[in-house]
Amino acid sequence: MARKKLTQMAYKDGAEMMFGTAKFPVTTKRGIVLGGGFVHPEVVPHPRPGSEKTMKTLLREYEKANGDALERMVIVGHPTLQIENEHIFQMTHNPKWGAEIAAQTARQMDDCLTKYGLKAAYRSTPADLRKPDMVDMRNSDYTREVLESFNECAKYADIVSIESMGGKEIFDHAIIRNDIAGILFGIGVLGAIDMEWMWDQIVAIAKKNNCIAGGDTNCSEANTAMFMAGGMTSKDVPHVMAALARAIAASRTLVAYECGATGPTKDCAYEDPIIKAMAGVPISCEGKTSACAHSDLAGNLIAAVCDVWSNEAVEYHDMFGATTTSVFAEILGYDCAMFNSAIELGYQQQMKEILVNSDMYRDSHSLILAPDNAWEVGNAIVQNRAKSNYASARAGAIKAGQIILGDKKMKLTKLENEALTKAMKELEALPDDEGTFIDDCLKKYKNVKGFNPASYGL
Amino acid sequence: MKILSDFSNIFKRYDIDLEKVGQAKQISKDPILQSIAKFVVEGDEDGISPAVDEALKTKTPLDIINDALIAGMNEVSRLWEEGVYFLPQVILSSDAMNIGIAKCEKAMGKSMERKGKVVTHTAEGDIHDIGQVIVNALLNANGFEVINLGADVPVDKVVAACKEHRPVMVTGTALMTTTMTAFPKIAHQLKAVGLDIPFICGGGAVCEEYVTSFDLGVYGKEASQAPGMAEDALTGEKWSAMRGKWNG
Repeated sequence: MARKKLTQMAYKDGAEMMFGTAKFPVTTKRGIVLGGGFVHPEVVPHPRPGSEKTMKTLLREYEKANGDALERMVIVGHPTLQIENEHIFQMTHNPKWGAEIAAQTARQMDDCLTKYGLKAAYRSTPADLRKPDMVDMRNSDYTREVLESFNECAKYADIVSIESMGGKEIFDHAIIRNDIAGILFGIGVLGAIDMEWMWDQIVAIAKKNNCIAGGDTNCSEANTAMFMAGGMTSKDVPHVMAALARAIAASRTLVAYECGATGPTKDCAYEDPIIKAMAGVPISCEGKTSACAHSDLAGNLIAAVCDVWSNEAVEYHDMFGATTTSVFAEILGYDCAMFNSAIELGYQQQMKEILVNSDMYRDSHSLILAPDNAWEVGNAIVQNRAKSNYASARAGAIKAGQIILGDKKMKLTKLENEALTKAMKELEALPDDEGTFIDDCLKKYKNVKGFNPASYGL
Repeated sequence: MKILSDFSNIFKRYDIDLEKVGQAKQISKDPILQSIAKFVVEGDEDGISPAVDEALKTKTPLDIINDALIAGMNEVSRLWEEGVYFLPQVILSSDAMNIGIAKCEKAMGKSMERKGKVVTHTAEGDIHDIGQVIVNALLNANGFEVINLGADVPVDKVVAACKEHRPVMVTGTALMTTTMTAFPKIAHQLKAVGLDIPFICGGGAVCEEYVTSFDLGVYGKEASQAPGMAEDALTGEKWSAMRGKWNG
C-alpha cells in the first residue's frame, strides 16, 4: 500500500496513554492480543560465537535458546511469550537459514500451545545488510538478500521487523561532530526516504504471507547516539544531542506505520512512546531488562506505556539459575505479571507514575520519552507531517529541545547546556523548505565517504 | 501526573556533581602560530585555512605543523583526557588540523613524516564501524598513518594489508559476537607469516576474556585508548607486555 501520511494524533494527550493498551491492538497467530489490555514479555536470544558456522549448528543453537525460554514460561506459570530472533549476518545472507529457524521455532510454539496452552508468538527480524556507504541501497546483492529473507521468514513468523540503515553514512559523520543538520538529514530525511522504499515492500510481503508487519527502529543511528552518550561519566557525545536524535528518529520510524505496519513496534526503538502517541500501535520496549545488552538511563520510565516488554538481546549460555534465555524470559514474565496486576487492581495510573518518576530527570533523553513529553514531541511531528519528512523531523527536534531547556527540574551540565543551545540555534536557522535543505546538504556532505544520493532517489 | 519535587533518594546526578571545567592554555608565544593553534583548539575549519595560508608567507611548513597544528591538537587531547572536552570537539579539532596539515604538505611538496602505520578494520560480516571511524580519527590526530580497510573486511584482506604495510599494530572492531570470530583467525595467520604485532580488538559485544584467549590479542575497551596503545607499539612493546598493561 502506498504511504499515507499521519495528520492526526492517535491519543488526545500523554495522560491517555497507558501500558498494556494500544488504540489499535494486534492479534498473533496463536491468539496473543498485543495492546489488548495487558503487557506481554518478549525475549530475544542471541547465538553464541561459533554457532554460526553451519545452518545445522545454528538451528541447534536456536532450538535450545528459544526452547528453553518457552519451557521456562510453563515452569513458572507465565501465560504468554513473544520470542524475537534478530538475524545474525549469516541468517539473512543465506535466507534459507533464517527461514529454517523461523519454521523450527513455529513448530516449537505449536507444540507448547498443544501441550500446555502456552500462547507464544515469533518475531523474525532480518538483518539490514545494506551499509549505505558500501552498497547501492536499492540495488545490491545485500538488498536482494534482505528482501528474500523477508519473503522466506514471513511464511512462518507471526511478525517481521527490521532495523533499517538509511542515512547512516551521514549520521555517523554528523554525530561525532555535534552536527545537528547532518543528524537531521541522515535520520529525518534519508532515513525516512529509505524506509518508505523498504516498508512498502515489507508490508506487501507480510500481507501475502498472512504475517504481521511489525515495525522498524532507528537502532543504527539514534541508539548509536544514545550508547555513545552513555552514562553519567561518558564524554563521547552530549546526551542532549542523543535526545534530539531520538526526536528526529520518531519522525523517521513513523514511516513504517504510515506504510501499513501495525506494530508491535521494534523493542530497541526508544522512540516508541512517541510512536504510540502518534500512531496508536502496540509498542514493544526495553529498559532495565536490556542491561544484558547495553545500559540506558530510562530503565523504568521506558515501560510506562509499553505493550510488550523486552530485553534487547541476550547471548545464550549457562547461568547459575538456568540458561540465559530461560532466566530473562522469567524476569520479563514477572515484570509483566507486575504490570498486569497493577492493571487488574486498578493501580495502573500509580504504576505509571512510579515508572516515570524513577527516571524522568535522570537524563534529558529520558525526559523527552516521559509520556506527556513524548506526546508533545509527537504532536509537533504530526502537525508538520503534511509539509515534509524534513519539516516534521525538525519540528520534533525543536520541541524536544524546548522541553529540555524549559523544564527547571532538568539539570544540565554546562557543556550539555552549551551543546543544546547551539543545536537549537542551528535548527532554528535552517530553511523551512525541504527542497532547499536537501540541496544544501547535498553540497555540504558531498565528500562524506560513500555517500551516494542515488541510493535515495536523489 | 504526580511528579516529585526532590529526586535525591531516587538517583544521583554524578555528571552535574563532577563536571570538570577548564580552558585551553596558551600554546605559542608567536602570535601567528598561536592563532593557528587556537583554530585547532576551537575546531574551526573555516578559520584555519586562510590563517595557514597567511602563516606560510613567513613560517616554514614544518614549524606550522609542529608548533601550531600538532601542538594545538596536543592541547585538545589534554582537555579531552581531563574531561573538559567531548569527543565531537576532538573530532572537529582533528578536522581543522588536517586541513592545515594538507596545506603545509602541499607547500613542502611531500607528506609530513608520520610516527608509524596502523592498519584498522571492522570484521567480516559486520557493518557497524563507527568505533573504527573514531579510532581512525584519534590515531590520525596523534600523528599515526592509518591504513583504513573499512567495514566487512575478509580475514585474508587484513593479513595482506599487514604484510604490505608492516604496521606497528592492527586493530579490529566488531559489534556482534558472531563476527568477532574472525579475530583469532586473523591473529593465527599473522603469526604464521611472522608478523608478531599487537592486534587490538574491541567494540560492542567484544570482551577481554575472548580477545586475550588468542595470541597477539589485546582488548581495547575504549576507542580513546588507541593512541596510547599505538605509542606503546611504536616503542617496540610486545603484544604480551601490552596485554599486561592494558588488560586485567
